[in-house]
Amino acid sequence: MVKNITIFTTKTCAYCPMVKKYLASKGLSYDEVNLDEEPQRQQEALAISGALTVPVTVVTRQDDSQEVVVGYNLAKLAPAIA
Amino acid sequence: MEKRTKENSHTVIMIGAGPAALSAAVYTTREDIETLLLEKGVPGGLAAVTDWVDNYPGFPDGLAGLELAGNLQKQAERFGAVIDFGEVTALHDEGEWKHLETTLGDLYARVVLVATGSDYKKLGIPGEAEYYARGVHYCATCDGAFYRDKRLVVVGGGNSAVQEAMFLTRFASHIDLMVRSRMRASDVLQKELQKFVDKGKITVHLATTTDEIIGDKDGKVVQVKGTDTKTGNEVKIDTDGVFVFVGLKPNSEFAGGQLETDELGLIKTDENLMSSMNGVFVAGDIRSHATMQIASAVGEGATAALKSANTSEGHVDVMEEV
Repeated sequence: MVKNITIFTTKTCAYCPMVKKYLASKGLSYDEVNLDEEPQRQQEALAISGALTVPVTVVTRQDDSQEVVVGYNLAKLAPAIA
Repeated sequence: MEKRTKENSHTVIMIGAGPAALSAAVYTTREDIETLLLEKGVPGGLAAVTDWVDNYPGFPDGLAGLELAGNLQKQAERFGAVIDFGEVTALHDEGEWKHLETTLGDLYARVVLVATGSDYKKLGIPGEAEYYARGVHYCATCDGAFYRDKRLVVVGGGNSAVQEAMFLTRFASHIDLMVRSRMRASDVLQKELQKFVDKGKITVHLATTTDEIIGDKDGKVVQVKGTDTKTGNEVKIDTDGVFVFVGLKPNSEFAGGQLETDELGLIKTDENLMSSMNGVFVAGDIRSHATMQIASAVGEGATAALKSANTSEGHVDVMEEV
């Protein structure tokens, strides 16, 4: 079971709305960190994902284990939210 | 192999959901022709990850690529186009029906529109794969925000490289543009570029190859090595990241020799935009002799839809109605 989801995005990223739309289609809510508005959190996104890119989706489960999905990658995102 | 059923059969399947397919879908679905689009990435394709589109007719001030892509998608979906996410891995001609092997399973269609477009090419140099997404990038609108007040190298001399370099000046303190031979970008873009050069934001290195991307012990990109092809001297440019825009690679692997292609891997068509396989049409960047312009792709999508309409069972040739 999913406890919460955080997505790191930017305003110009085309893949970010795709992730948000996919999560919404599954009835899941999420917190969004827009790195254009909160550039101080870029290091946090980098530390979590190991990549200088967005979207980065962090799925936290009820047992507090986390799954990090870099990019618009349904092959990883779908099982992460299952 | 899954047999053909009512559920996995469609009147029209469009491979890709970029500008060509989305505009084709507007035409087919408005004629009440059931249409499925299969997209492996993002609807809108490369247009969606292009910062700004200045040459699409009807928008005198230009518009964001993401906005144009979103509008094309909305319009197609308004008339009933369905976009599903999956990749076509093989295409077979079974006469009246075309059989598509996809990541969603086997699908069948009376008419197929191939509008798979192209992806950015890679350089194929040392360091490129090692530092992918950690200093080497192919999407400025996705990853540029990570380079606020940093130095960047942009590789390429075409329209995409120049446009994305200018976009990246929103973030980067300075950009070195490495151009293997000469500038191939349009005159308009070159004039725009000159403004950034005059301001000291972009330095252009013509006739300079990009040979290696160097990282430090912490795994960060720190330098690009190249060669000045006029003097043969090594060129070293310190940088925090590299964005690569060195041309396009056609997404035609799935055809596996089933469709006739040209020497570049682009799919050949006849005057009706039909490929060498009966009932399989082609539009946009993936078509041989395409102009690689969004406006052209949209026009070709409309043309392919109109030309293919008489192949779809139960529908008349819409051209006859005009």
